[in-house]
Amino acid sequence: MGYVAVKAGEEIIERAADLFEKQRVDGDEATLSVDQIEGQLDRLTAQAMSEAGLYAPRLAALAVKQAQGDTVEAAFLLRAYRSTLERFDETVVADPAEMFATRRVSPAYKDVPGGQILGPTKDYTQRLLDFDLETDHEGDEPDDPTGDWEVDDAEPEELTNVMEVLREEGLVHEPDSEFDGEPTDTTRESVTHPVDRDEVLQELARGETGAVTALGYSALRGYGQVHPTLAEVRVGKLPVKIEHPYTDDEVRVTDIELSESEAVVPVYAKRDDPQFAFGYGLTFGRNERKAIAMTILDASIQLDSTSEPAENPEFVLDVVDGMDSFGFIEHLKLPHYVTFQSILDRIRGIRDRTGVTGTDTADSTDDEADAPEDDADPADREPAPMEANTDD
Amino acid sequence: MTETDSTPNRTAPTDAVDSVDAVDAVLDSLDAGDGLDGYNYAYLDEHTKREVRRSILKAIAIPGHQVPYASRPMPLARGWGTGGIQASLSILGPDDTFKVIDQGSDESVNAANIRRLAGNTADVETTTDTTDADVIQTRHRIPEEVLTDDQILVLQVPITDALRKVDSSDASNRRRHAHKNYGKMWVHLYENVVEYGEINIAARYPTMVGGRYLMDPSPIPRWDVPKLDDADNLFVFAAGREARIYAVPPHTSVEPLAFEDREFQVERFPDQSCRACGSTDTYLTEIETDDGQRHYVCNDTSFCLKRQDNEELPKDHHLDREGVDWGPGTPNNTTADSGGDAE
Repeated sequence: MGYVAVKAGEEIIERAADLFEKQRVDGDEATLSVDQIEGQLDRLTAQAMSEAGLYAPRLAALAVKQAQGDTVEAAFLLRAYRSTLERFDETVVADPAEMFATRRVSPAYKDVPGGQILGPTKDYTQRLLDFDLETDHEGDEPDDPTGDWEVDDAEPEELTNVMEVLREEGLVHEPDSEFDGEPTDTTRESVTHPVDRDEVLQELARGETGAVTALGYSALRGYGQVHPTLAEVRVGKLPVKIEHPYTDDEVRVTDIELSESEAVVPVYAKRDDPQFAFGYGLTFGRNERKAIAMTILDASIQLDSTSEPAENPEFVLDVVDGMDSFGFIEHLKLPHYVTFQSILDRIRGIRDRTGVTGTDTADSTDDEADAPEDDADPADREPAPMEANTDD
Repeated sequence: MTETDSTPNRTAPTDAVDSVDAVDAVLDSLDAGDGLDGYNYAYLDEHTKREVRRSILKAIAIPGHQVPYASRPMPLARGWGTGGIQASLSILGPDDTFKVIDQGSDESVNAANIRRLAGNTADVETTTDTTDADVIQTRHRIPEEVLTDDQILVLQVPITDALRKVDSSDASNRRRHAHKNYGKMWVHLYENVVEYGEINIAARYPTMVGGRYLMDPSPIPRWDVPKLDDADNLFVFAAGREARIYAVPPHTSVEPLAFEDREFQVERFPDQSCRACGSTDTYLTEIETDDGQRHYVCNDTSFCLKRQDNEELPKDHHLDREGVDWGPGTPNNTTADSGGDAE
């Protein structure tokens, strides 16, 4: 008998997982510690946390290790874990002005209150491979390039937000929002359109970095009107506060590292009182690219148009989530022979009917319906666009 | 929104105590030791399962209507049956028997993975025998054996709206459903006929449920669509990525869209029979062998194995009545290649 059922039970699954795990430990090198990943590859862990919507650096490092560096897979591990956790409380609304900024640039002005703080960045260096890094782990202690800096330990002051300057002058049109004080949680309530801005911001903040960047770029590239001027880009640590369950006092429970971006866009909502539109971006960890792209998308979505992809909230929110796109793209690897058989049946039926049956096509059939006697030569046509057999 | 979301009211001291109790409950559940360590019974927390069950009840009350629910991230990739598994885990109890099929097969790796998750966390018996199962989760097929009024079929759904074919905007399509405005779909089908002489939709065939809502029956082949009509069992359709649940309750009319002169047609397998069991009244899929041969075999592997033991086994062998109508090739459908109820 030519037919052998595809038998693949749990043993096969386990073996495939073992092979995957072997890739991680292949070779003679010591395995990476979670501490090393958390400390030295924090762009990876930050991206995983940001796309997972869970601020947990150590878990993120573990997830990155388990996912062998695949950030979307790592974010997926974190989300699946997050969904089993009880939610106890909401934080006190955080004031971004309290952020302890390690980096802050304001492209809108040459100088701003508090000054430009370049901070740790590679932006202005030449992108040359540093071959010293190949061997730097062989020494004893890595050299700290800032080791002999003289730093005074004055308390940092709060930075005045550049947006405040513009707001005081009445130049900023605040986004329409029906925020009632209770934030929607889009992980607990599915998004339906039209969406509120808090839902948009949540979905963008969890968006896949590459998708957010690409869609934001699309607006700049000409598929949209938004070309923002950044008022600020900040990276720093923001204190997280809750109200103490017994004393009701506000207590700071932790700091989280964030990238924040704010922009104004010369899109005038009102002719008589022209004001800037405003866009906002915020992500966990250091990820300025995503924060800025999110800013563009926030401003674009406020235009609420269907003429440009980035301005269509339904389009952007449908495609920006890494978990969704990753899962559905990769599900195409699953068997599809049932639907494919159905598609074969249709395409052969139509080919039979129009008389283009090839030599190897299975069997002609008697059809009740008559063949269309139209004049078009089927060979001249585009191939039949068979219906999408998309599936879960 | 479920109780899961309720945050302790910060001014009421009693709620503060509640939140401490909640912590204790979580800690207790971590120690419970049943099934998968550290996870709640049937993986999802009880609030989530209740919410899913409520959505299912609502879906049953409005057959064919898509009910939004807060689909949770699951430890399976979205697009791989996360909606189905949330529905299954929400309705399974420890006394239930669970079957999972993927493309008609119990042995597919993804089916095995989902079955293992349910087995590990919900402590259910699993089976490959359609007639033994209380709940069957399936991707793209309705089993060949007749389902009964004490069985639930949970179908995994990739795309929730039949109208997505004609308009990508769910917001617009929701309006169309509200107004029962399906003109655009009818035009699409008509254009199909004009261009190809027949409707060229393969799987995911648009169906009208209860004469009211147009429904995407998930990518089941057209072969299975007639089984939805006036069935004894409940069909639950669950989409994880798109966060919608809909249902076809027992004895609901489900009618594939078609024209009087272009009837709904199921897949045809002329002159073919299953290479393994000889069946001619089941959905077959073709396989290409190493030596260039093409064979047809039953897609429902569980029923095929039974037929290999007993060639004459009818699809309603387990019922106390005979001649039950269950899709193409069953007694009330005399012609095996026009199983539709199209009029």
